[in-house]
Amino acid sequence: MSARNPGMKLDLGWISKVRVNTHAVLKRAQTIQGHKTPKKQWQAAWLLKAVTCIDLTTLAGDDTPSNVHRLCLKAIQPVPYHLLNKMDMHDQGVTTAAVCVYPSRVADAVKSLKAANSSLAVASVATGFPAGQTPLETRLQEVRLAVANGATEIDIVINRTLALTGQWEAMYEEVRQFREACGDAHMKTILAVGELGTFTNVYKASLVAMMAGSDFIKTSTGKESVNATYPVAIVMVRAIRDYFLCTGHKVGFKPAGGIRTAHESLLWLTLIKEELGHDWLCPHLFRLGASSLLADIERQIYHHVTGQYAAYHELPMA
Amino acid sequence: MAGSTINTVQNIFQSMEYGPAATPSTATAQAWLDKHSRSLGLFFDGKFVRPADRQSRSLADSKGGHVCSTVCAVEADVSQAASSAVSGHKAWSGLSCYQRAKVLLRLVGVLGQHGQCLSELCELCEASCSPSALVRLLQYYSSWAQLRDTLIPNWTPLGVVAVVVSEDCSLYSLMLKVLPALAMGNSVVVVVPGQSSAPPALLLAQLFVGAGLPAGALNVLTGSDMSLGVKVAQNPSISFVTYSGNKQDGVTLCKATAGMGVPVSVSPNIGATCPFIIFESADIDSAVDAVIEAAFKKKREVHWVLCVQESVLDSVVARLRLRMAGMKCVALHSEGDRVLVDTAVQVAQQQGATLVQSCAAPTPGAQYPPTVLCGAAPSSPFVVSPSPGPLLPLMTFRSNTEAVTLGNHSPHGQAASIWTEDLTLALDTAKSLSVGSVWVNSHSVSDPCLPVSGHKDSGTCTDGGHEGLYQFLRLSSSSSPLPRSSPVSMDYSKFGTAASPAIIPDDSDPASAPMPYLQFVGGKPCKSVSGCSVAVQSPGGGSVLAYCPDGGRKDVRNAVEAAVKVQPGWMKKSPSARAQSLYSLTKGLEAKRRDIAASVSVQTGLSMDEADTEVELSIARLSDWAAYCDKNQGGTPPLPQSGSALSLPEALGVVGLVLPDENPLLSMVTLLGAAIASGNAVVMVPSQKYPLPALAFIQVLQASDLPAGLVNVITGSRDELTAALANHSVIKAIWYWGSAEGCQYLQYTCTSPLKILHLFCQKEDGGKDWTKSHPSLLEEMWRKAVQWKSVWIPTA
Repeated sequence: MSARNPGMKLDLGWISKVRVNTHAVLKRAQTIQGHKTPKKQWQAAWLLKAVTCIDLTTLAGDDTPSNVHRLCLKAIQPVPYHLLNKMDMHDQGVTTAAVCVYPSRVADAVKSLKAANSSLAVASVATGFPAGQTPLETRLQEVRLAVANGATEIDIVINRTLALTGQWEAMYEEVRQFREACGDAHMKTILAVGELGTFTNVYKASLVAMMAGSDFIKTSTGKESVNATYPVAIVMVRAIRDYFLCTGHKVGFKPAGGIRTAHESLLWLTLIKEELGHDWLCPHLFRLGASSLLADIERQIYHHVTGQYAAYHELPMA
Repeated sequence: MAGSTINTVQNIFQSMEYGPAATPSTATAQAWLDKHSRSLGLFFDGKFVRPADRQSRSLADSKGGHVCSTVCAVEADVSQAASSAVSGHKAWSGLSCYQRAKVLLRLVGVLGQHGQCLSELCELCEASCSPSALVRLLQYYSSWAQLRDTLIPNWTPLGVVAVVVSEDCSLYSLMLKVLPALAMGNSVVVVVPGQSSAPPALLLAQLFVGAGLPAGALNVLTGSDMSLGVKVAQNPSISFVTYSGNKQDGVTLCKATAGMGVPVSVSPNIGATCPFIIFESADIDSAVDAVIEAAFKKKREVHWVLCVQESVLDSVVARLRLRMAGMKCVALHSEGDRVLVDTAVQVAQQQGATLVQSCAAPTPGAQYPPTVLCGAAPSSPFVVSPSPGPLLPLMTFRSNTEAVTLGNHSPHGQAASIWTEDLTLALDTAKSLSVGSVWVNSHSVSDPCLPVSGHKDSGTCTDGGHEGLYQFLRLSSSSSPLPRSSPVSMDYSKFGTAASPAIIPDDSDPASAPMPYLQFVGGKPCKSVSGCSVAVQSPGGGSVLAYCPDGGRKDVRNAVEAAVKVQPGWMKKSPSARAQSLYSLTKGLEAKRRDIAASVSVQTGLSMDEADTEVELSIARLSDWAAYCDKNQGGTPPLPQSGSALSLPEALGVVGLVLPDENPLLSMVTLLGAAIASGNAVVMVPSQKYPLPALAFIQVLQASDLPAGLVNVITGSRDELTAALANHSVIKAIWYWGSAEGCQYLQYTCTSPLKILHLFCQKEDGGKDWTKSHPSLLEEMWRKAVQWKSVWIPTA
């Protein structure tokens, strides 16, 4: 594991120079979407890679200890043992990257995982998720409590009001404080790209989030009308590349919201490979925020191993 | 690495390789080829014809496998194809516009059914052309076929058009010539070397017949080199030859067809050097993506040169390095190309260039990794004469103006890609670059609605758009300017070198001694550089009327220098300012009408009344041109993609006019007006027989407020001055009235750089009626005086 992104002083000059050509980005996204995805065993290997990058998520009002428990156990064994065994992957530690829950469910998740002797990370959304429209003090407190309950990763949301009105110093300050509140827990900063208006704003917000010390930048909460799209992802990963070129620090990327099919997960991996290169193709630098995606990947893997398409009920539910 | 490990899921899970690309099936195309026994014939009279006893040419795929063979057509096949085309033209032009449009549209339907076969065949022959691009071409030109008589009245098709392409010409470029020719009602003989584009062209011809195209309207001849194109051009049924492909073959075609009396237009769109300019205000990431996409293709048609603003050089190079890492080697055409590439890279490194390479160059083999040569300069050998292979020179520039200077400093004028988010800068740059296509924040976008003329050495005609249709049309009222003939054998180096007869002192009465006239260079009346004069004979030829300067090569040089200095400023002036200047010229002519009429009368032997009429008509004609200045201003072609396109008519630059004998004043102001109204500067050579009206007109020019040097008048031997104009590279176009020999000389000589030629073989009985002033006559001349540029600005 390489070092965390320590962040840097806010560089407004850099931010003001940001330029994004919308058309060119859309065209690039089209090219990537038209990319041929891997086939046969390459497809199986890529899908397993995608599984290891998933933050298996439940963020619902009706979450209780029981469904969180099921989620945790699914995260530990996301693909049935016999399928992994057939591909000689049973001893490669194929689990999802983390489970992701609301702050109030962190304790439940930690408990379930501990009982199952797993060291899987528990991620928690925080800071007034999803809107971020609560006072700073309570947002900070939320982070501290989630960490205290055992969350090792915190998905914070930025204050869109600040980003939309161009108050980058203020946004930088807030994120900086969240990072302090996180302590050793890794911080993923959700930009809620669907609400930022322009690609240029997305790029700028990405830079500010990274300057403030985010370990990951994440597209969306999954609650906005527009979620993780390929064009917006291209803008964000370019910001990551830009930041890497200038500081040497690698920041991770997490698309979330609306990712449901195995094919999409392959395209996401392709996008990362094409734009950022092989280094980013690991759970340390790439996550997929998803809940129903895993089921589709499982079916594809089942098909690869057995040559048959599985019914949903044939695979263990989450 | 990849070969030595076993591709288990576990290994791939670590390496995250893409795995082998699926090889697309070519079963349909193979079946079509098998049906033709893998040996394709020629196509005329609406069917495949396989004449016996012809040489054939074998076509191999990328792995060296035999795809099929094509016939090398001979003389007899050419005349058969030509007579097929003549009857095809009869049937095709006899249809109504609606019927022709319907045939083109029906082919879209046929492509829907057989598109698979076509794209597989293209894939096999490495003549990539997407069926969707063909569909767009067909739809666009079918609507022009439909509207020809409505929107382009008074124009008729030329007859049989020969479309000649070189071996490396893409199917798209070929169809960009064939379809407008057909849409306007011509029949077409396609002459294609039996390589990549040939089988798809033959298949398309077959599909066209299936769509209801009359037999003979589209014919395809395959051969081995340009000599077949020359044989076709020689056939008297051909009215026009147009060429698309590399420059070299185009020059061969032009030279070999000189003197045949058939106009030849050239679009050398392969192999031009094009600037790719990244300003500091660009979206650098997107620009770098586009560079990589454009520059390292296996089959690239142009040589890009990357120009980067100094302030963002590091950031561009860093991104190139990251994005290129891991790119695969690009296949070269041959081992020989590999040697060229290695040499070019070596020379570059010796001159201090640093490389950005996706991987180290593998041991010899017909492949090379994508490579950026940083630290290039315009003088670097690999920029001056680009080598094949995936090499991209990178230069830097300081200011926006320098970017334009750098981009324009090239013999080519094909296209440019510019990257900036600054709208003002984008438009300024787009207007200042002398290229046919400017792509803002994009590259290599082609669409049939964009009119494009290669500037400078990159072409002599306009393809695409409404404007591109005119190369396949002529005014219904005009006849062919050139009589068909066989080239005479002439020593091109001797043309125009005959000395003018010397003038010796005689004993004539000093009171009636002929008057010496001056010529007009750089806004000043002057003698010729040689100091010599020639005698101007009276109309009957009995006596000497006057002496005029015997201008030569150096006078032309001085005139061109003066012209090229003021021309850019003149073109930049607003059209209405140009109009005012032309009105002032008109007024000047009115003020001097007596003098001028007298000179016309003395020179031509017309009565004073008749001479007055000619002056009257000339004044009216000049006013026409003054009014015309700000009336025709391009447009905004509608592309299917979202964005804004501009089509801009631009001046050609410096135009050489070798003026006709007929109506010496009226013909001069007509041509002069057309040229300067659209922003050109001119060097005029007045009729050798009747120079006096033009010389008298100098006083009008001098009194006008046209910039000094915009119009130059040089008298003397027509042939000598024609040769001087032909051998000056700054001159972009020559409009010539003169001998058949002169026409042949110009066609042969004006090939590097290419000049736009409008040649008229002067007949004794007179050809053009200069007194007519039909609006479409003006339009025709205006179209000849401009070249088109299209600018594409994509938006989301």
